[in-house]
Amino acid sequence: MLESIVEFLILGIVLGGIYALFSTGLTLIFGVLDVINVAHGEFFAIGGYIVFATVVLLHLSPALGLLAATTGSFLLGLAVYPLLIAPLKRRLGRRPQGPLFLVLTLGLSTFLQSTLLAIGGGDYLRVPPFARGMLDLGFTAVSYQRLLILAVATLALVALFTFLHFHRQGMAIRAVALNPDAAQAVGINLGMIFTLALALGVALAGMAGALMAPLFNVYPAVGFAFTIKAFAITILGGLGNLAGALLASFVIAIVETLSVLVIPSQWQNVIAFAIMILILLIRPQGLLGRADR
Amino acid sequence: MIMTRSTRRWLWFVGAVATAAAVPFAVPHPFLFNLLIQAAIWALVTASWDLLGGYAGQISFGHSGFFALGAYTAAGLAYHLHVSPWFGLVAGAILCSLVGLCVGFPALRLRGHYLALVTLGFAEIIRLVAQNWVQMTGGPFGMHDFGTLPGLPTALLRYNETLYLVVLGIAAAAIALMLTVCEHTDAGKAFRAIREDQVLAESHGINIKVYKLYAFALSAALAGLAGGLYAFSIGLVDPNLASPLTSAMILGMAVFGGIGTIWGPALGAVLLFMMSEGLRFVGVVYNLIAFGLVIMVFVIFVPRGVAGLRLGRNERLSRRDLLQSEQAGTRPDPVQRREVI
Repeated sequence: MLESIVEFLILGIVLGGIYALFSTGLTLIFGVLDVINVAHGEFFAIGGYIVFATVVLLHLSPALGLLAATTGSFLLGLAVYPLLIAPLKRRLGRRPQGPLFLVLTLGLSTFLQSTLLAIGGGDYLRVPPFARGMLDLGFTAVSYQRLLILAVATLALVALFTFLHFHRQGMAIRAVALNPDAAQAVGINLGMIFTLALALGVALAGMAGALMAPLFNVYPAVGFAFTIKAFAITILGGLGNLAGALLASFVIAIVETLSVLVIPSQWQNVIAFAIMILILLIRPQGLLGRADR
Repeated sequence: MIMTRSTRRWLWFVGAVATAAAVPFAVPHPFLFNLLIQAAIWALVTASWDLLGGYAGQISFGHSGFFALGAYTAAGLAYHLHVSPWFGLVAGAILCSLVGLCVGFPALRLRGHYLALVTLGFAEIIRLVAQNWVQMTGGPFGMHDFGTLPGLPTALLRYNETLYLVVLGIAAAAIALMLTVCEHTDAGKAFRAIREDQVLAESHGINIKVYKLYAFALSAALAGLAGGLYAFSIGLVDPNLASPLTSAMILGMAVFGGIGTIWGPALGAVLLFMMSEGLRFVGVVYNLIAFGLVIMVFVIFVPRGVAGLRLGRNERLSRRDLLQSEQAGTRPDPVQRREVI
């Protein structure tokens, strides 16, 4: 029993790494732009498709595929702010935005998902693991693929935090998140920061999709389940709170994997959403959110 | 005789329904009637979304959940308990209104983003239950062979014609009910007050809790009714009914038609549904791509949808009202504050 708990704990931590990559991106976008990106999961799927294209179709190395997926979703993400978010922001002016951006990104999500369906077909595409073999721990074994996922996710998150705290543009992103008007007053180009933050956020999603491609199959709707899960995570951590999202990713992932020991696996997701709704009922600002919302 | 705007609107409504009931008989073909039945159902569910999202301002991303719940309830009662489909329709609507109350309960504390996420989570729970509770719902492949509405002719064309009239009648009655509630009762005024400024509405003595729950229950009940009609006219319910894509379709239709008017989203649903069925001849996925594009383009550039495109003296007057109300809404939302990274 104890051994299987440790085994599932390890699986949970690996899954937590993916959730963290994914929901940190979502949280970054929300914190800076005040937009919940419903289309986040589609960038996850795009990352998977790019890896499939580079590794399976072009026979290039997985590292190159990972790089291509991250860069590809970053470049696509660069287009989202100027083409979609900015025109709506301009039209709204200072009026309360309500959930219009949710509707807008839902449209983007539908558009991207069905475009992927049109290009790649509805088939489940298989991507071979980047690293073969297992690490033997005695009582259980962990595949190198999962360890690789955890390592890359950790590296990417450390890089992101370093960037946000020590790089000039990163600090500008945090400044805009704190107070856009004041940031603009000291000469920060808001449009550029919004574009950059959105592209960074979806690049993280694309990277997560590329990393997960060998474990999940790649298909157009692969990301949507992650999007909804990430909503639960970001709400648990308090919307817009990066550290909270990070913590909540691991909490949800570990609880989810451990719950397999108790309840049938197909009910896992129901539990996650039920917890999300319950938490919102009790603490509408999220677990780590500030009470003053 | 001087006609008020209200009388004129009702004349338009009755005229539109009468036309919709009569014109298709000029080209009697089962396929056409089948399409029109679905169009009427989408019109109903989209209008029910608009009551909640457009009038009361409580944007739901989970109407696919109510739609599927109504469909599964109606189908399940007919299949497992062999009760009359009419009873199933009503039972589905009642169950949905109860569930709507439960989903609306968090809405008393939540707004905007959070509410949308809760409703999205609700629909996803419905979808997962439908997919996993195999002995009750048939699992991923759904349910079929649960019969149809009783007392209809058996010949295909006659069957489709009668079913179309029945569905159209129910949908039109339900939409008329929503129009009445929104335009001729205090509830409609309360809905709009809540949408424009919840704090102001409350300080004017409007019981926003009661009215929010009212909007949720009524909207969910009619979405469930549409689901029941869908079940009996299509003859197949599956978990995909509750998928976020269905909600996206409903939202797209509402935005296309022009939210906050009830009739706009109903019209938008019919137009967009017909357009997407037309696109099916081009390719099955293209209609979804078009849906995504329509949502994005209309949200950004045509926020009032098809309903906002009307021109005329009265419309210019009402447009002035709209402009004024928009300008009145320029105050930044006092409740909304930003979380910090």
